Order: sequence, then structure tokens, then C-alpha cells
Amino acid sequence: MTDTQWPRYMVLHQERDDRPHPHAGTVHAPDAEMALLNARDVFVRRPDCVSLWVVRADLIFTRTQEELTLHPDWLESIQPRGDTAETYYVFAKLTQKGQFSHVGEVEAENLPHALKVALQKYPDTRGLAWWVFPVKTVLKSTPDDITAMFAPAAVKDFRDQANFHALSVLRKLMRKQEAE
Amino acid sequence: MYGATVDPIEDIRTDEEKLAEFEARIARGEKIEPGDWMPDEYRRQLIRMISQHAHSEVVGMLPEGAFITRAPNLRRKLILLAKVQDEAGHGQYLYHAAETLGATREEMLEALLSGKAKYSSIFNYPTLSWADMGAIGWLVDGAAILNQTMLAKCSYGPYARAMVRICAEENFHRRQGQDIVITLALGTPEQKGMMQDSINRWWWPTLMMFGPHDTDSPNSAVLIRWGIKTKTNDELRQTFVDQTVPELLALGLTIPDPELRYDEASGHWHFGEINWDEFWNVVKGNGPCNAERMAARRQAHEDGLWVREAMAAYAEKHQS
Amino acid sequence: MNANLKQALTDYLVAMADDELILGHRNSEWCGHAPILEEDIAFANIALDEIGHAIVWYELAADLSGEDRDTYANRVVYFRDAPDYRNTQMVELPKGDWAFTMLRQYLFDQFEMVRLEKLTQSSYASLAEAAAKIRTEEIYHLRHTRAWVRRLGLGTDESHRRMQAALNDLWPYALALFEASTRETLLIQASYIPDISILKTAWQVQVTTYLQEAALTMPTNSSHAIPPRTHHTEHLGGLLSDLQQVARLDPMAKW
Repeated sequence: MTDTQWPRYMVLHQERDDRPHPHAGTVHAPDAEMALLNARDVFVRRPDCVSLWVVRADLIFTRTQEELTLHPDWLESIQPRGDTAETYYVFAKLTQKGQFSHVGEVEAENLPHALKVALQKYPDTRGLAWWVFPVKTVLKSTPDDITAMFAPAAVKDFRDQANFHALSVLRKLMRKQEAE
Repeated sequence: MYGATVDPIEDIRTDEEKLAEFEARIARGEKIEPGDWMPDEYRRQLIRMISQHAHSEVVGMLPEGAFITRAPNLRRKLILLAKVQDEAGHGQYLYHAAETLGATREEMLEALLSGKAKYSSIFNYPTLSWADMGAIGWLVDGAAILNQTMLAKCSYGPYARAMVRICAEENFHRRQGQDIVITLALGTPEQKGMMQDSINRWWWPTLMMFGPHDTDSPNSAVLIRWGIKTKTNDELRQTFVDQTVPELLALGLTIPDPELRYDEASGHWHFGEINWDEFWNVVKGNGPCNAERMAARRQAHEDGLWVREAMAAYAEKHQS
Repeated sequence: MNANLKQALTDYLVAMADDELILGHRNSEWCGHAPILEEDIAFANIALDEIGHAIVWYELAADLSGEDRDTYANRVVYFRDAPDYRNTQMVELPKGDWAFTMLRQYLFDQFEMVRLEKLTQSSYASLAEAAAKIRTEEIYHLRHTRAWVRRLGLGTDESHRRMQAALNDLWPYALALFEASTRETLLIQASYIPDISILKTAWQVQVTTYLQEAALTMPTNSSHAIPPRTHHTEHLGGLLSDLQQVARLDPMAKW
């Protein structure tokens, strides 16, 4: 029998109400509901989370700045076809060291078209890499989930390195020895 | 690789042009992202390193996991369980980083369980007493942090980002280890004896964790040129010794190395030669616990197969 | 509070704590051996929560009996022998397969939910407060275990067969969760705790409906009577000898 580790879901993780949802990582899960639960356990072991989104990784369309600059003709070739439009999320990596983060939403006909519209709509956003995916494919936690899913992490103080005083004990011992 | 593939873009540059631009980007300190062009060797080395690293986290749960049920008070029990849980988390983050390069977790686990893939040899040593929880936290995690802090600056974006997250959590691991060592070293004579015995067993395997000498490390040069590693094995090992020795000595513990001495001239601690025969022997699978660790992983994997299949079958039947 | 009442409430709190501790301990055995990496993490969270809840109840018991809350929990956990433990037998059974573990957790979570809802109205204020806090975490546990139970019940033939076997084994033990001790009458009269036997019906309706939706058949044969909390299976002794071995190397030492 061949193994399955289940599909991958991208996890987007909001630390405070007034912040965007940056990328946290992925979880493997059999379906979206389990992905949301797994995302909570994998990425909210420590506090600072008010909302999680999960979306199947294979539904995300991505292009890097390198790909776009090397091939301006690819972008030219993407033209609307008059299909029904839907809303897509746009994420971008804005700094070398940074994480992908939420830029906004666009109305588009398909994934490449969504990227093209995003580049036009956000001309000042210098993305080093871009993601677009349909809004309707995202499963989100709700504000009602905060108390049960996210708030408990704040009282799990056994994970907090500030509660260990090893360094001050060691420094004290070393000073004492030097004095002797 | 994140997912949706639509019309792959054809790259018309020559290989020399691609490589030159790739190396220029690394020299400028830019991060390489999935989708960017990269030499096959860069991808191969990264998958090898990241998956090994992920396997080490997962196998690394076993030696400490054996003491979760035996932790000597409730606080320590919570801490140890949370720590071993974090290791699963770190394995999870790292498999993700390797997945962005096109490796699947199924393939990586298959490579681990069939014995093709390596993991850190340190986890092939047995945990024999509670004091080992202190030694592993302080020495093994302390050594790992030096490596991981370096890798948090590596040129591949997803690996660097996984490392940033891991380093933040790993400091808790080292602190709790130090806390156990301090408690035992300053405790009853029996506790101190237990701690010393543990340091005696873990000291040399920890120094081996940094890998062979730079001169015997075939991958080092290319890893440094492509910004995957920024320090050599020997540099990191020396930093670890310089940092750790005075702290252990301050606790009245000794280090099982007759050659150990502080060298005023260089400002470094001089230490004896590692037993490389032992190192290679454990790497080749003949360490004290290689067979046991693999058997435990295989058992969990096989016992979990029906579970994974059932969950997938339910999802298949209930697709909206 | 008179001495009798105080003792009865202390015993009640310790029994609740023992349930959480032993279940958390059993769950922690999965860490490193779960069916998939994500669940090593998720199930460790549940174990951590249960052990955390045990500590909350032990501390309340310490406050009530005038003991030092910083040392009381460790003393009762590490230096009581099996006959003095007051956990229900269901939680001390070996972890079994993933179906057994998940179903036990579900049955217990649903039991706790029913009990905690009532305990939040306890006339003993610190008990009501603690119950409210613990309840928020149990909401998540229940969401997690419900999701699993449903999927395993309806997944494959094998997962269904294993779930049904687990249910047949666990059912009499689960019913025993609702056996009140005679001393609890005092506490019920004082409105400190709910009458658990009355809650049984509500619980039974909830779990029966849910398990039947997961294609499981409720066992009808409950002739296998489970003894009260003063009696244990042989498994508890083994569990405790593991749990207590390091602490008992030197009872006076600080670890």
C-alpha cells in the first residue's frame, strides 16, 4: 500500500486585528476543517493569533519577480476572455527576509489574469514574489473561535523561555568564581 | 513549489548566464524563492540538508519522549511534553521548506524509513536517566541553535524563514535544559553524580554533531559559496566549546576531555581530538540505538497507515 | 463550610484532577508515535491541557484543605499509591490504537462538557471560575475529537471496524463516569456540584446521536459493571511506577 500524507494547506496567520494575514507555513490535512484545526495546533502553540486562514496549496498560483522580469511577454499574453469574474486574494513577499503577506483583493477571470490585474492595481507594491488564489477556496476561523482556539495559548507559560532563570544563575556563579 | 501550475514560463537564458545571475543574487544577499531559477545541485543539496534536518527533529522526539511519562514533577512534565511537541513542529516546518523544492513528504519519509536518508547521529545514543533531559536541552539543543542561527540567514527563503521560527522556539529548549542541569548540579550528591554521568556520555557525541572536519567535509565548499552555510563545521564547534565549557565548569561539573585547556594566546578553549571512528560508525547505522529508533518510527508509520487512509477516504466521499 | 463538606469537596476535586492527570498521561504517550506529524502536535496539546486542568483542580483542593498549593499537587501525584488514586477506570486503560484513544477522548470530552457547564454555576465561587476557564479549552478538544470520530466512523471499513470495537470496549467504562459516590450528596445539596446521574441522560443523547451519525452502533449489553473509583485495573499500577520512578529516587530532592 502506498502512503498518503494528505494534501498540503497553506496557513495564513493574523497576530492582531489591525494587522494583515502573513504566511505561517503549511499543514497536511485530509480536508479544510481538519487543516484549520491542525493549523491551530501547529502554529498557535504560542500566543499572538486572532485569526487563521487555510487554503489548499495546489490552488495557489505563484510567480517570482525574476520570472516576471525575464518574460514580460508572458504577462502581455494574459488577456481577459470575457469569462465570469470572481474575487482573488493577492499576497506578495515584499522584503528579502520577509514573509508573504496579504496585499489585497482583485476581481479576475482566472489565476494568471488575477496576477495581471493585481500588478496593475498595486503598481507601487514591489513584490519579490506573488501569490493569487480564489477567496472562495479559503476556510477561515471566526471571531467566535478566539476564546477556544487562540486565547488558551496565552496561559501556557511553561513554553516561555523568560520563565527560566538559568542565565542569571550561571552569571552569578561565574562572577563568584572569578572573585575567588 | 506552492501549487497551481499554469503555463510554465520558458527560460531562454544560457546555463552560464543563469548561474552567473544566480550567484550574483546570492552575493547581493537576496533570497532565492521557489520558482526562481537555481542550479540543480543547489536544489539537490538543499533537499538533502533540509530533509535530513527534518528527520533529525522527528527521530529526535524519541530519546526525550521516553521520559515524558517519567518527568519528576508536573511542571517538568508540561515543559518536556511541550518541548518534544515543538520538535514535531520543527520537523513539520522543515518538511514544508523541502516541499517548496519539489520533494514530497511521502518521498522523504520513505527515504527515512528505508534507511536511505540520514538524520543526526546524536539521536542514536540512549537516554538513561532524567539528567539526560538536561544534557540534551543544553548541549544538543545548544549545538543545534548555533547551526540554526547560521541557517536562518541562508540564501533559500523558505529554509531561512523556517529557521527563524525554529530558533525562537529553540531558545526555550536550551533554557529548560540549562535549568535541569543547574538544579541537578546544585542538588544532592546523587543528583550531581547523575548529572556528571550524563555530561560524560553526551559531551563527545555533541561535538560530533557539527560534522566532520572542514577538510573531510565534501559538501562544505559549495554550501558556503551558495550561501546555504556561512560558517564551517569547525568554526561552529569551536564557538560551542568556548561558550559552554566555562558555564559547565562554573557549576562544578567536569568535562571528559583530558586535553581541555584555555589557550590565552588564541582566546579559545583547546579540546582533544574527536573519535572519528565512532562518528562514522554511528553515521553508518551501527550506533547504540539506530535500529531501535528506526523500528519505533516504522511502527508509528505503519500503525498510522489505516488512520491516514480512512481520513483521506472520508474527504474523498464528502468533497463539497 | 463544615469539615465534612470540606472533605467531600476536596475529595471531589482530587477525583476530577486524577481523571485529567491520568488521561493526559496516557495521551502524552502518543507524542512521537502518532499517525501523522500534525497529530503528534495536536494530541500533545490535548495532553498538555488535561494535565494543566489536573493542576488547577489539585490547587483548588490544596486551597480548600489548607495545604500549600505549590507542593500539594506534586505530593499527591508522585507519592500516592494506586489504591489511593480516585480516577475512573476508563482513563487508566492502555492507550490502545488510534480509534480507542480518540473515542475515549471524545467520550470524556463530552462528559466534561456536560459537567463543566453545570460547574460554572457552582455556589463555590473558585470552582465556578475554574470551570469556566477550563471549559473554553474543552470546546476546542470537543471540536477536534468530534471531527476525528466522525471521519474514522465513516472513513474505511477498517476504521469503522476499529471504532466499533473501541466503542464496545469503552461503553461500560464511559457509563461509569456517571456513578456518583454517596458523599457527593452533601455537595449536591450545597449546590457545589451538579447531580451527575441526572446529567447522564443529556450526555447519552448527545453521544448516541453523534456516534450513530458516524455509522456506529450503540452497545446494548452493559452487563460488565465497572466498579467505583476506589477500585482500579492492573494498568494503573504500571502507569504509576513509570510516572513516579524518578521523583521517588529521592523524595526530598528538588528536581
